[in-house]
Amino acid sequence: MTWLHPRRGLQLRLLLAGPIGWLGVVYLGALLILLLNAFWTKDSFTGRVEPFSWTLDAFDSLITVEVYRTIAIRTVVMAILVTATDALIAFPIAYYMARIASARTRGLLVIAVLMPLWAAYLAKVYAWRTIIQGKGPLEWVLAPFGIAGPGLDEIANTWLVLSYLWLPYMILPIYASLERIPGSLLEASSDLGARAGSTFRRVILPLAFPGVVAGSIFTFSLTLGDYITPDLVSDTKFIGNVIYDNSSLGSLPLAAAYSLLPVAIMIVYLLVARRLGAFESL
Amino acid sequence: MKRSTVLGMLAAVALVAAACGTGASPKPSLDMPSSIGEAEDELNLIIWAGYAERGEVDPAYDWVTPFETETGCKVNTTDMGSSAEGVQLMESGQYDGGSFSGNATDRLMASGTVAPVNVSLLSNYANVFEGLKNKAHNSKDGVAYGVPHGRGPNLLAYNTEVVTEAPTSWDPIWEGGSEYAGKISIYGYSDFIADAAIHLMETTPDLKITNPYQLNQAQFDAAVALLEAQRDNGAVYWASYSDQVSGFAAGDLVIGTTWQFQVNLLQAEGEPVEAVLPDEGSTGWSDTWMIHKDAAHPNCMYLWMNHMMSAEANGQATVWFGEAPTSPQACTYAETLSPGHCDLTHATDEAYYSKIWYWATPRADCADTDAATTCKDQAAWTEAWTSLTGS
Amino acid sequence: MPAIRLEGLVKHFGGEPGRRAPAGGGTAGGGVGGAAGGSPGGSAQNEAIVAVAGIDLEIVDGEFFSMLGPSGSGKTTTLRMIAGFERPTAGRIVLHGRDVTDLPPFERDVNTVFQDYALFPHMSVGENVAYGLMVRKVPRPEREVRVADALRMVRLEGYERRRPGQLSGGQRQRVALARALVNRPRVLLLDEPLGALDLKLREEMQIELKAIQQAVGITFIYVTHDQEEALTMSDRLAVFNRGRIEQLGTPADVYERPATRFVAGFVGTSNLLTGDSARAIIGSAGTFTVRPEKIHLVDPAATPGPDEASATGTIREVVYLGPDTRYIVALDAGGELVVTQQNLATSSMEALAAKGRVVRLTWKRQHNLPVGDG
Repeated sequence: MTWLHPRRGLQLRLLLAGPIGWLGVVYLGALLILLLNAFWTKDSFTGRVEPFSWTLDAFDSLITVEVYRTIAIRTVVMAILVTATDALIAFPIAYYMARIASARTRGLLVIAVLMPLWAAYLAKVYAWRTIIQGKGPLEWVLAPFGIAGPGLDEIANTWLVLSYLWLPYMILPIYASLERIPGSLLEASSDLGARAGSTFRRVILPLAFPGVVAGSIFTFSLTLGDYITPDLVSDTKFIGNVIYDNSSLGSLPLAAAYSLLPVAIMIVYLLVARRLGAFESL
Repeated sequence: MKRSTVLGMLAAVALVAAACGTGASPKPSLDMPSSIGEAEDELNLIIWAGYAERGEVDPAYDWVTPFETETGCKVNTTDMGSSAEGVQLMESGQYDGGSFSGNATDRLMASGTVAPVNVSLLSNYANVFEGLKNKAHNSKDGVAYGVPHGRGPNLLAYNTEVVTEAPTSWDPIWEGGSEYAGKISIYGYSDFIADAAIHLMETTPDLKITNPYQLNQAQFDAAVALLEAQRDNGAVYWASYSDQVSGFAAGDLVIGTTWQFQVNLLQAEGEPVEAVLPDEGSTGWSDTWMIHKDAAHPNCMYLWMNHMMSAEANGQATVWFGEAPTSPQACTYAETLSPGHCDLTHATDEAYYSKIWYWATPRADCADTDAATTCKDQAAWTEAWTSLTGS
Repeated sequence: MPAIRLEGLVKHFGGEPGRRAPAGGGTAGGGVGGAAGGSPGGSAQNEAIVAVAGIDLEIVDGEFFSMLGPSGSGKTTTLRMIAGFERPTAGRIVLHGRDVTDLPPFERDVNTVFQDYALFPHMSVGENVAYGLMVRKVPRPEREVRVADALRMVRLEGYERRRPGQLSGGQRQRVALARALVNRPRVLLLDEPLGALDLKLREEMQIELKAIQQAVGITFIYVTHDQEEALTMSDRLAVFNRGRIEQLGTPADVYERPATRFVAGFVGTSNLLTGDSARAIIGSAGTFTVRPEKIHLVDPAATPGPDEASATGTIREVVYLGPDTRYIVALDAGGELVVTQQNLATSSMEALAAKGRVVRLTWKRQHNLPVGDG
């Protein structure tokens, strides 16, 4: 039945042509147009972009206007803060799930972690608005301590809500990497003289680290790109807000040029993450 | 994939679609139909939410079904989120027309996306208030490019328990705002620079601002400086009307710029909120139904434009949205739905509206013919706004 | 003083909440009753599974001691209790005169070579071997010398920089050995360390392990289910069954004089004469065992000597094994016996042709041993 093999290869190719074609044309094609847009001029009144009219104006603005730098740094710092916060919160939860909880508790916890992902993004953000805003639950809780509620214009709100939103994306990869550590490694460490703390630092943490990096890919990139949460719970601008404002009202080339920044940051990030072995933990 | 990138990609795709859809020629054609032919079977519209009701929310407000029954044109609508989105959708060439604000109509006319309208074919046009005809935002070279839908000003809202005396000036959100620091609600888009310019027209006549949307460098810098002072006084910017409503309801906000719409919502909830038009005047909107130059269903679009000027349709639509009707007949009809509506919206008060600067797009050429003057364009406004709120 | 004394050691799994995790290993591990243990943790509600049912044992210093038994016999659980990974339900563990029953693993002077090697995948071979010295704060220069020595002992010098993932199974096994030995424990515990290797490598490693044990002179406690391995390497061995020791002794004792029917069957080939056939052939009631290599196949007409037992039968099956041939003979008196004969002059053709032939079996009477029913 040797004739079957070339034919099966053909079938496979036909089968894959659709998805790969989609990936190539729609996905990468759109990225290419984005890239091109960053180098095109636009009519200052109608806002229309003139294709193939090459200019570096957009990049010039990004470099010379200070606010774009401020916002880029703020966004990256926020992404780092959210990632660090999520890692700190997620690790103990994931550790408990993977190595301490009984099978039953573990199942319940996995569901509890996944549950918020079923709720709509906007519903969650609006729920947080309700919590944070004046006369809301946060104010009730803080009032007895004489602390005023933050209101809806604090940058810390963005940090809080984004950390909440992306937490499951951090817990799951860490959980997966912790669960994969064979029990015998921990016994071996203890057997060789290491106390619990030492075993944690020298064995568990390094082996779970790729999971943390994998989770951070999500938390970092999602934070870099988010513009709805900053808009709804604070009035601070992030990269996404500038892109959004400019893609509709200001300059599409500027928006395109600015959106290349998170793309570039993520490419570097992913290369580093790959070196750290994060992709095996996804 | 990050959301920002997706957004950029979508925008890029929309742009290409737009470029493909319309070609690059901005020359408008002055060919207007001399009669309305037989109605087609369909009509595709871009609208502001609430501009085409079928009675699905409240059966008393339905001006689409009667139109469909009468003309046989099946109406399909797409909501725009902003003027800019409306422009992008219109340029895709998929729509027969839509209801646009001044900062979209000027761009659509300039790019030749929309066609002039032969108003003599529209029986209801004669009834429309003269103050709404042949304005910069709905005509070019004396030729109408659409028919009015309704208008309204941006108002100064205040919490009557905190601001006990009704303000007569915008001063409480500007120089006089220190007592409301951190509780001043400000429209969160670059268009608000025009509100600063209107205030400067009053307080700093030396700047010689004649149009708050067309500002030269000195005027623009003064407006931005005013906005920076306001920001440093703790202005809270609102991006959607619900932000502002919940802020006022929660007591986080006590004074700021608003639309009649939010004030109605807050008053319906029993909140102690009132709104006034200060003496300096204000920014505002006056929306226009326009037809695409290559509309696939031009007869249905003409019939729709005429319909939207009728007493019933315009009366219902303007009460529904909380804006001023466009004709005495519509006003009368609106009073039957909501007594006092025409007084509240100052529909017949041209003196009131003479103080309103309808939204327009800032242009490098100052929207005039004087080549010597240059102004800050929309991109500069957006950039200044980003710097203002982003640092 | 013995190296290790186990007194009345009992281990139940399940049915006894609160006495599960040993202090040290538990907090770090939580892998209690895990894969390496082969112990049936997490049983049905409140119904304890008895893994170890009472073990009393003394192991001499410097001895190569094996614990032999089928899976589930309690040998691995016993080893894990000595290591400190499991806490006994009852009984005491005394290491060199010190009661360590309640001590965590990191406070016991024993080291373990795990069945799956348990090498740290994120560390190099050198770091793996140095691990025990590092956590015990041995100064770096001394550490380096001892790591190099340990790697030389297992013939892996120059492999310091490699990662465990880059090594073969046998090399990993030797790294695991070096990692344990470098700490110079007084007792080394080995949990089926050769189980994952192929036969040839296993035989090489058996010799190497024995040589290393003699070179370092420390006590080895070796868990295996492979009787041949236990017989070749051990000074003494204990045969485990159902959580108890069935027999304790030297390899020769256990092989030649199995104390119970279970030992006779598990160590070597089960060759039992029972009931009527025992009465007919041996002349007394009870259960007897005869090792297959002690039996001669002779002509049915031949007369057995005065010191010989004898029985007639038919060859039911012939298995040619190369150096030997195994004959399965159905006895006329009832039952079967397995007979192995060296192929001194027999070819495979000849051997296989014996099938169906009527034969007489003879053996020295001293070679049929009575066994308990255990």
